[in-house]
Amino acid sequence: MKVLRREVSKMFSRFNKVCVYGGTGKYGSYHMKKMIEYGTNVVCCVSKNKYIDKIDGINVYQSLSEFNGEVDTAIFFVPAQNVLEAFTDAIENGVKNVVIITEHVPVHDSLKMLKLAKSNGVNIVGPNCPGVIHPHENFKVGIMPEKYFRPGSVAIISRSGTLMYETAKHISDGPGVSIALGLGGDPIVGTNVAEGFEILKGLGYEKVLLIGEIGGEDEIRGVEYAIKVGFSPENIVAFFAGRHAPEGKRMGHAGAIIEGERGKISFKEFYLKQLGIRTVSFPWEVRNVWKS
Amino acid sequence: MKVHEYLAKDILRSEGIRVPRSVLVTEENLSTEKDLIVESIEKLGFPQVLKSQVLVGGRMKAGGVKIVDNIEGFFKEIERMLITEIKGEKPYGVLVEEFIPHESERYLSISIDRNLRDIAFVYSDVGGIDIEEYSRKHPDRVIKTHELSELPMELQGFVGRLKDIFVRYDLTLLEINPFVVRGGEYYALDAVFHVDDSALFRQLWADEEETESHFVELEDGNVGVIGCGAGIVMATLDALVEYGFKPANFCDIGGGATAKVVYDALGRVYKITNKVVLNIFGGITDCVEIANGIVRFKNDNPDIDIFLRLSGNNEIIARELLKNHGICVVNDMKELIESFKKGGVKDVFKV
Repeated sequence: MKVLRREVSKMFSRFNKVCVYGGTGKYGSYHMKKMIEYGTNVVCCVSKNKYIDKIDGINVYQSLSEFNGEVDTAIFFVPAQNVLEAFTDAIENGVKNVVIITEHVPVHDSLKMLKLAKSNGVNIVGPNCPGVIHPHENFKVGIMPEKYFRPGSVAIISRSGTLMYETAKHISDGPGVSIALGLGGDPIVGTNVAEGFEILKGLGYEKVLLIGEIGGEDEIRGVEYAIKVGFSPENIVAFFAGRHAPEGKRMGHAGAIIEGERGKISFKEFYLKQLGIRTVSFPWEVRNVWKS
Repeated sequence: MKVHEYLAKDILRSEGIRVPRSVLVTEENLSTEKDLIVESIEKLGFPQVLKSQVLVGGRMKAGGVKIVDNIEGFFKEIERMLITEIKGEKPYGVLVEEFIPHESERYLSISIDRNLRDIAFVYSDVGGIDIEEYSRKHPDRVIKTHELSELPMELQGFVGRLKDIFVRYDLTLLEINPFVVRGGEYYALDAVFHVDDSALFRQLWADEEETESHFVELEDGNVGVIGCGAGIVMATLDALVEYGFKPANFCDIGGGATAKVVYDALGRVYKITNKVVLNIFGGITDCVEIANGIVRFKNDNPDIDIFLRLSGNNEIIARELLKNHGICVVNDMKELIESFKKGGVKDVFKV
């Protein structure tokens, strides 16, 4: 399995300099403010809106090339049809980490971005994802409600946004959250489960909650990889959504569709259990699984 | 989104891929331009292949493809085929094609491999098959690769052109089953295209139809389910089943839903059942909007039974508002499911 090597220690920390693409829209500006309040070092904003040059104290540019400073991380709230263009702008101007919140990005654009990312040593999280929160660093490039992410020891890797918040709330009542990676609900995402584990390994986090869904086999491949690189099966707990979803129907997420036996939860759970991974049936059960 | 065969073939033809000459016959053009249609049909020569234009698979087995030998045969079949549903789908029309004589058939598909995160080619020198089944039985006769160069040399030009079409038209599946060789040229006898729903803004040739994934009706259910986020709705549905209930639908209203979105979602669910479980939990959702939508709907439809979990912004104001209208609410998913199980004893819904 191909997994990109990253300079993980520099990722998702309070030292990252963040540019917000699409930070002037209703949605983008709301979340930009939330990120700044949380502690994220937002240094500039890029927007197609020519009439706004400053928002919440942050300078707004038409292109990142106009900004006289360093940026290593970008988060995208731009409309789906502009994501590829924004991505090109970001990497041409030195961005190494891109988090794409936008839903409905054409899959061929995602493939193009992945190719560009590979040849430029860039890391992508998303599209169609809630982003990343690193409570120990007070760092958030995402849209998650931070109050549910109390700093602690359990890392979350999730294909779903709201289920990440739901389980984080329960974990925060227990051992707390070390970092949460929202990978996104599209069939093609920049960081898959295996690469998510790679990031956790680089950061030294050992306990992992994996939130999976119907469709694809990324969870299985990811956990197999994790065990190969040294994660201990008893430290990994999985929860899956869509156990009772009908076959062949897309359930909200573009990637959440059962096409063949391996995309079913029963198969995923069976397979992971054989690897020694614990699974839980309800989101609220994650609260207690790390107690013993 | 699936694309009709005639449209897929129009695209192939315009891009220089050989397809049989054809005429698209619909109920409408057959009645308004009958002479012109008949003239065009005769120009195709006989035998001809009549193909029902439906999007469901397994058309051949269901009687959606017929070969006719003369104009009488054409008339006999066309009237019937135009009005015959295939697996419950009314055909858009019938594609009438010249018959391309051939000795052997081959299979090709181009799709996107989720695991490799790349374009994948599947080729077999046996066509007209169910590729899934065939590749299980004869894995040695099927090539699966993401490198064009790993396909037989003589095919690479043809497949390369198809790959270019696959990318430029934002397809997620391009399947030619079968294609045949005639006079040293490849002919696509069938064409299945799926176009990426997310790319319809720039693929204007594809008629946008209802391809909604945020609302899915489930069989034989009696409990409506609404939530904000695909994952949490699926998890709510799962939990209800585990507790012995039968969900009637999947409905994801997303983050930041307005009162109108909530009202409309309730309206759709109410057509199926009057018991609705709402699991609203999110960062950007304004609970007052949710509450307003629910209160308005309840006023208009007093017999709806609402079971609500609500957490998010302004949840305290929202709870007051709901309480004033006799709608009670919990703030935890487990509590939501368990209180629903108790039959919605109103006491447990105390704020």
